[in-house]
Amino acid sequence: MNPLPISDADIHAYVDRQLGPERLPAMEDALARDPALAARVAELRRQNAALRDAFDPWLAEAVPERLLAGAAGPRLGARRWPRWLGTSLAAAACLVVGVGVGWFGRDLSLQNDGTPTTFTRQAALVHALYATDVNRPVEIWATEEARLVRWLSRRLGFQVRAPDLNSLGFALVGGRLVAGNENPTALFVYENADKQRLTLQVRKPVNPGHETAFRYAVEDGVGVYYWVEENCTYALSGNLDRTQLLAIGRVVYGQLAALEAAPASKAPPPAAKDGAAPPKLPDAMAPPKPPETLPPPARPSDGASPKLS
Amino acid sequence: MAVASLDPPLPAPDLVAAIPRMRRYARVLTGDNARADDLVQEALARAWEKRRLWAAGTDLRAWLFTVMHNVFVNQRAQARHERHHVSLDAEGEGGDAWHVPVRDMQYTRVELIELMQHVGRLPVDQREVLVLAVVEELRYEEIAAVLNIPVGTVMSRLSRAREKLRAAFADGVVAPLKVVK
Repeated sequence: MNPLPISDADIHAYVDRQLGPERLPAMEDALARDPALAARVAELRRQNAALRDAFDPWLAEAVPERLLAGAAGPRLGARRWPRWLGTSLAAAACLVVGVGVGWFGRDLSLQNDGTPTTFTRQAALVHALYATDVNRPVEIWATEEARLVRWLSRRLGFQVRAPDLNSLGFALVGGRLVAGNENPTALFVYENADKQRLTLQVRKPVNPGHETAFRYAVEDGVGVYYWVEENCTYALSGNLDRTQLLAIGRVVYGQLAALEAAPASKAPPPAAKDGAAPPKLPDAMAPPKPPETLPPPARPSDGASPKLS
Repeated sequence: MAVASLDPPLPAPDLVAAIPRMRRYARVLTGDNARADDLVQEALARAWEKRRLWAAGTDLRAWLFTVMHNVFVNQRAQARHERHHVSLDAEGEGGDAWHVPVRDMQYTRVELIELMQHVGRLPVDQREVLVLAVVEELRYEEIAAVLNIPVGTVMSRLSRAREKLRAAFADGVVAPLKVVK
C-alpha cells in the first residue's frame, strides 16, 4: 500500500512543476516528514529562481536587424517574399512587437505596408505574448512601481509614466522592457477583478511629429487603440470591445497629457544611458539596493549586436 | 497529418517574437554572443528551408529550438573535424563573456555573474538541458524531442547539472549569500 519512495526524478519534476498529480500527494507527504528533503527542494527552487533572474534579462535586448530580416524568410526580394515584407517586419518589430492569436495560416501577402496596420498588429503580438502569461507577465511587479518606472525611463531615455486606471477597475500588475529593433519599448500590464488584462506600450516614435491621430484596430480579437504624439507612441491593447477600449484610451491620454503639462514633469531623467549607474532619485518605495561591487557591464546592445556582415 | 500546401509560410511575426528566446538558447549553446547570433541566423534560414516539417498550430518555439540545436550539432561536428574551436568540445568554456545586464533583482549581480559562469562551465549537453527546463520551462518530454534523446537522458543530465552547480557553490567557490560590506 505504501507509495513508491521519492525518487530523484520526482524531486526534479516537483521543483520544475512537472510532477504528475498521481505523485504529488506522496511528494507533499514526504516533504512534511523529511526536513532534509524539504531543504533540498528549497535549495533547488532557489537555484531555479537565480537561473531565471540571470538569463531572463537577455530577452529584453534589442534584436539585430539581420535576424529580423532572417525571420521574414529566405533572402529579401526573393520570389514569394517581397522586399517590403522584410522591411516592414523590421520596422514593425522596432515599433511595438506583436502577434494576434489567429495569425497562423493568414496569408502574409494580405499584410498592408502602411504603418497603422503594422503598428497595431505588432502591438497585438506583444499583448498576446505577455498578457496571456499568467505567472510571469512582467519583470517588475507593481509593488515596486517607482522602481519600475525609473528603470523603464532610464532604458527608454525619457520619462515614462504608468497611468492610474484604478478608477476604471484596472490595477497595475507591473511592467517590462520589450525588445525592439531601434527603440526599446516599455510595457505596462493592468488587470481587473475579472482577470482581464490590458497592456499599454510606450516607445519613442520612429518618425517624430508624424501624426497625432487616434487609431483603433482589431487584430484577431485583440483590440488596439494607439496614438502617436510628438515625443511618444502609445498602444493600448486588450480583449475588450471598442467602446470600452476607447473609453480607457481617453482616460490614459487625458492623464498623460495632464502629467505632461505639469511643470515638474518636464525634466527628463538625469541619466538616460544604459549601463550607467542608476540615478539616485528620491524614491520612498525603492528597497535598499545591494552594494555594487562590480563595474557596470557594457551596454547590452553593444555586446549583443555584432556588425552586419 | 495536416494537409500542407506546396509552400506553406511560417508565421513570420511569430518568428520575430521567438528571436529573443532563440538568441538566449544560442548563447547557452555557444557561450559567445557573436557566434550565437550567427547560429540564430543560420537556424532561421534552415527553418524556412524546412518549413514543411513544422506542423502548423504546434509550438513554434520548441520546433525552432529543435532546428537550431541540429544546426549547432552539425557545426560542432564540422568544427571538430577541422580541429577548430576547441572550446566547442565537451567541457564548456562559455559563459565568461556573458554579462548580467543592469536590472533590479533579488540576487546581487555578483551572485548572478558567478552563477552564469558556473553554467558556462557545464558541458554543453548539461547546460542546454538545464536552461530548457528551468529558464524556458519546457516539459521534459519536449526537451527530449528538441534534443532527440530519451527522457531518461534528459533527467540524468539535468540531475548532473544541478548537482554541479550546487557543489560549486557549496565548495565556497562562491558563497550563495548576499554580499555584505
